[in-house]
Amino acid sequence: MKRRSLLQVLAGAVTQWFAGFGRTAQVTAEHAGQLGLLSWRVAVVIARLKVSTRDIRTQMYVMGVQSLPIVFVTAALSGIVTSQQGGYQLVSSSPSYVLGALVVQSVVLELGPLLTAIVLVGRIGARITAELGTMVVSEQIDAFESLGRDPIAILAAPRVIAGVITMPLLVGFADMIGVTAGMITANIDVKLGPETFLFGARLFWHSWDLFYGFTKAVVFGLTIPLISVHMGLRTKGGAEGVGLTTTQAVMFMILTILILDAMFPPLMLQ
Amino acid sequence: MITYQNIHKAFDLPVLSGVDFRVETGEMFALFGPSGTGKSVLLKTTIGLMAPDRGDVVIDGISVFGGGRGAVQAVREKVGYVFQNSALFDSLDVLDNVTMGLPEDELARLSRADAGRRVWDALEIVNLEPREVLAKIPSELSGGMKKRVGIARAIVGRPDILLWDEPTTGLDPVNTAAVERLIKRLSDELEVTSLLVTHDVEGGLDMCDRVAMLDGGTLRFCGTPEEFRACPDPVVQAFVDRAAAEAALDMVSQSYV
Repeated sequence: MKRRSLLQVLAGAVTQWFAGFGRTAQVTAEHAGQLGLLSWRVAVVIARLKVSTRDIRTQMYVMGVQSLPIVFVTAALSGIVTSQQGGYQLVSSSPSYVLGALVVQSVVLELGPLLTAIVLVGRIGARITAELGTMVVSEQIDAFESLGRDPIAILAAPRVIAGVITMPLLVGFADMIGVTAGMITANIDVKLGPETFLFGARLFWHSWDLFYGFTKAVVFGLTIPLISVHMGLRTKGGAEGVGLTTTQAVMFMILTILILDAMFPPLMLQ
Repeated sequence: MITYQNIHKAFDLPVLSGVDFRVETGEMFALFGPSGTGKSVLLKTTIGLMAPDRGDVVIDGISVFGGGRGAVQAVREKVGYVFQNSALFDSLDVLDNVTMGLPEDELARLSRADAGRRVWDALEIVNLEPREVLAKIPSELSGGMKKRVGIARAIVGRPDILLWDEPTTGLDPVNTAAVERLIKRLSDELEVTSLLVTHDVEGGLDMCDRVAMLDGGTLRFCGTPEEFRACPDPVVQAFVDRAAAEAALDMVSQSYV
């Protein structure tokens, strides 16, 4: 076998890197284009009032009511841990009431919206992708179209509307649970009474913070169903294809949410 | 009348390469061919579920790919499509599944009772007892019953054309014979144009007025069942012989079950 020169090896590596970069760029552009088209089609069916309110209610029940227990547990634990760690770090060096501000700000600005979104990715996003993917591979989407029905109006739009309405409600619920859990923990852990805790919270409070948290919730509530529907409708192959697409969708949603989350402070907290 | 005009379709490799043929009004037409020759792809292009790379399908004067979304919608209202695996909606019961077969504007005009009556009649036509199946969801039905519900959904809108994508696939010989009798009866009674994609060559030759065979993405044969049986083309003959052998094997294996 001939040995390749260093130059040939380098040229091969550079070519491979460019080929990989090109493929990634192509796939990214494809997803962006298809997501844009899906968003447009969803907007059109909503504007034409072609979405069944019964379907929206059903999806709101699945996304909202059925998610309450897991959101409760996640929010409570996030409040407890923030309070415990904040108490450990602050109490000996800062006024104790600062702990109230730390817990409330952390929960409202970051933990409430982000953790609720991550929970919904696992509970709702994966479910939507798997459900729609199964419908694609079993020709149910084709069946809708063959019967003159628009799958976007029947399947995508109700989920997107339900996501946008439900997510802020869930985040509001998570905020209340997180703050309450943090306050109780502060009382037990560092003997910080509720009055002092709330005094600290009020001292550093801006109403804008609540608006900031709810804006995040609306954006995440739009992102999760859009990506999960988009990925579900792209499914190819049989059961293996559904599994693969669902895994990819979860990764895609988590990454997108974390990127969007990182974009919020420079846009809204300056 | 369905006219296929120079249909080309490729995925990674070409699947259909210039397919041209016509299904006359009221005719029962079978399309044969080995697996992977594009029979189901051709059927899906008929109502715009898949777009060809080149060519067009014209149904009763409406160009499916030259007339925009309105033309596709008009064609879909004329056509009932029976899917290979029934493609019933998992989350809906039989009543809602079959009701979906009524065109949207017609459904809006009909009273709830009238829509229910149409569904009831469609289920009776396919030899199902409506009272027993209406409230069931697809997972509670047997394979043969799912096929019948799929057929009921396709006919409830009173289409002019029925497209059948391998309607007997996955059924045992008893159910295969029953579904074949049903297809023949429906085509006669409802006076519809039928295009049947099937692997069951003997069944297709017995039922249909004309047959065609796809091979390697092109039309290898188009004519009457008698011409098909007598066709000297070695590829057609090999296909007929293999189909006959498979049918005989099926019968033998069934007798041991």
